[in-house]
Amino acid sequence: MDEQEAPQAEGSPELSMFLASIAHDMKNSVSVLSGTLENLLSTQQVPDSLASTEYGKMAQMLYQTRRLNDNLIQLLALYKEVGKPGYPFDQAPRSITELVEQAAGQARVLLMSHKITLDVDFPRNAIWTLDEDLIIGVLVHAINNAIRYTHDRIRLSVKIDGDYLEIRVEDNGAGFPQMLLDMGAPSARRSSVDFLSNSSGLGLYFSSEVARMHKHRERTGSIALENGGTLGGGCFILRLP
Amino acid sequence: MNWVQDMSAPASSTAEIDWEEKRYLIIDDFVGIRQLLRESLRNLGAKHIDQASSGGEAMVLLAKTRYDVVLCDYNLGDGKNGQQVLEEARIRNLMLPSSVWLMVSAEKSVESVMGAAEHQPDAYIIKPITEGVLLTRLNRVWLKKQIFADIDQAFADKDYLRAARLCAEQVEHNPLHAIDLLRMRATLLLKAGDPDGAGAVYEQVLQEREYNWARCGLGKIRMGDGDLDAARLMFQAVITDNRFYIDAFDQLAQSFLLQGKTEEAFDVLQKAAKLSPNSVPRQRSLGQTALKLGNIPVAERAFRKCIEIGEFSVLKTVDAYLGLARVCGQKNDTKEAIRLLNAAVHQFGGDQVALRAKITEGLVYHESGDFRRARKSGDELEAMLADESRQRPDTGTCLDMATLLFAVGVKEAPVNLLAYVTRNNHDNEPLLEDVQKIFDKARMSEEGEELIKTARKEAADLMNKGVLLWKGGKLTEAVEWMRVAREQLPHNMRILFNSAQILISTLQQNGYVKELADEAIGVLMHVDAIAPGQQRFALLMEQLAMLAPVSGVVAAAAASEYEAANGPVPESTRWSGD
Repeated sequence: MDEQEAPQAEGSPELSMFLASIAHDMKNSVSVLSGTLENLLSTQQVPDSLASTEYGKMAQMLYQTRRLNDNLIQLLALYKEVGKPGYPFDQAPRSITELVEQAAGQARVLLMSHKITLDVDFPRNAIWTLDEDLIIGVLVHAINNAIRYTHDRIRLSVKIDGDYLEIRVEDNGAGFPQMLLDMGAPSARRSSVDFLSNSSGLGLYFSSEVARMHKHRERTGSIALENGGTLGGGCFILRLP
Repeated sequence: MNWVQDMSAPASSTAEIDWEEKRYLIIDDFVGIRQLLRESLRNLGAKHIDQASSGGEAMVLLAKTRYDVVLCDYNLGDGKNGQQVLEEARIRNLMLPSSVWLMVSAEKSVESVMGAAEHQPDAYIIKPITEGVLLTRLNRVWLKKQIFADIDQAFADKDYLRAARLCAEQVEHNPLHAIDLLRMRATLLLKAGDPDGAGAVYEQVLQEREYNWARCGLGKIRMGDGDLDAARLMFQAVITDNRFYIDAFDQLAQSFLLQGKTEEAFDVLQKAAKLSPNSVPRQRSLGQTALKLGNIPVAERAFRKCIEIGEFSVLKTVDAYLGLARVCGQKNDTKEAIRLLNAAVHQFGGDQVALRAKITEGLVYHESGDFRRARKSGDELEAMLADESRQRPDTGTCLDMATLLFAVGVKEAPVNLLAYVTRNNHDNEPLLEDVQKIFDKARMSEEGEELIKTARKEAADLMNKGVLLWKGGKLTEAVEWMRVAREQLPHNMRILFNSAQILISTLQQNGYVKELADEAIGVLMHVDAIAPGQQRFALLMEQLAMLAPVSGVVAAAAASEYEAANGPVPESTRWSGD
């Protein structure tokens, strides 16, 4: 399948142990930071106006912490070569209800503190085979991204479309700029590496690699960006075989 | 206001689980994370939460309290890591069958998908842990435990056929866990000596998705059938697909070893040890294979690593010490070799270890050309064997010992030893060929042939007499006779199986007697310990379970009595949650 047999795994084991322990440490710090902020925010009343209040500033801090966390997850996945045969890809049949619960649960305090409503719509009893941690990572990233651009509403929907599971994260903001739409267009048949030419591309690159790892009987997962959709704003679409 | 609005059609809600009254243990070396996790658990209503900041501290708490839920970080700084804490807790039986172990890590761990770690946690969670994810995973694991409860019980009772049937029954009702149930069913069928049935389950799973564990499982079955080339291709295909699927490496090495391709096996084991170095069994295989090839530097490194990682692990093995002693012998450092052997005897103790250390000592002296000392070791071994009160070692050790004793010039003891091995394995043709080879090497071909013939006849006569009594309806005499036969040939599979069969027939005809049932269980546990995965074992256990409620306690007690009397049972027969 992959012509690279093993070379990259042969790097210095000391360095990779060291990097792993640093990553572990950073994850701990970010976890404590974001957990503490969530605890503080969820014990307070959401004020009428967020602008220039302490609450609003804390909400901003949580948003930035989450971005940091997203980036860290994505960098670690890239370091572990997501998309390559060496990645510890772990697919199993999962309940869609649980998937949505977990993604929405991770975004809950952040959404509340930004006064954004999340609509969810999904088939209750559906089961799909996927790598749960990777897909939650993709969805949470898409929601975090939408929080930045939406007006006041985000919609997470899942449906089974023939041989694929289609997950959409939509918002009611101004939509994606044309440049991003061009990059995300599936018809362009570009390599996912093209995403990396743009500063907001890491998340898209990560998402498309995660999608690509999901394969079943010649079918492969993919991502796409659109404008419009149910809420009229930006729309991130993940399709899994 | 509710910030998450559910537009989906409502569905029947699953029964809520009460997380409030459960006992929790958090194991993490970072105080900030412990506080955060405690906060999250409190938000779920938890009242009883203990904390440990190291593996050692965790072991103390685990020994005192039976926790319902353990949240354990994989990376615990110095000392034991999370996996080693889990292994020790499981092997020392510090967890209830219903307890949940969640392994927490900073990133996707390779271990979670390697396939073969013997003691898997119930679930892995990646940081940061949020309450929603924690609750979802706890609920999921708990429900899964419920679904598997009866299966696990039958497994613990070693009634593999019933457990396999329960798996099949549950598949229909639990689509979410169907794949796990099928995986368990295949494992159980293999343990019950039904590789064809297990293979069919793997094929069925592979219709759904290309799961690497199913492909590896099929490969193992091909290997068992002796179709080594087909097996090798399957393992290689899995490795191409997932370079971290370590189980495939280990199996591939095994298939090479079976083909006598030691060098190829060595290459594969080296790669596997590089990818995942912290495995005691893998480093041991690498060391032993390197030793076979005379690659002393690699053998030394592997055995040293094996000792190092074994220090905090219950999987620590005397083999690493014995192997390293051989390495030292080959480097002409007999002094260091003897020091290691003394350390091994001191640390592990027991007659078996003492015997094996003495054999290794003889080999070390012999290989370094000190024939006088080698002969002295041989004489000491002979004296140890003469002591009737001591348990004879397993077959492999007996063969090693006979080889060494012949080499150092002892005659009578190895001949007796080989006769003993032959009587205990009187219908195992490949093994008897090995025995003949040892005689050939000692220039005793004809004597050996004669001796094997006599020993085989002795064993067959011993068994036939019992079977004749049984067929003639003299059940009490048959049971009595088989006791005698068992005592004389404690490792003879045919005698052991027939012995259990006669006991069970007696119960079937004359009614249930607890003492006889326990005796049958004891015999079967012993068989399963020396040669797991026998079809006849599974069938007899099933017959026994149908006679009367065999509780797990009885089976476990018999098994542990066996362990206490004979030293640890092979790893492959230990309970694993796989």
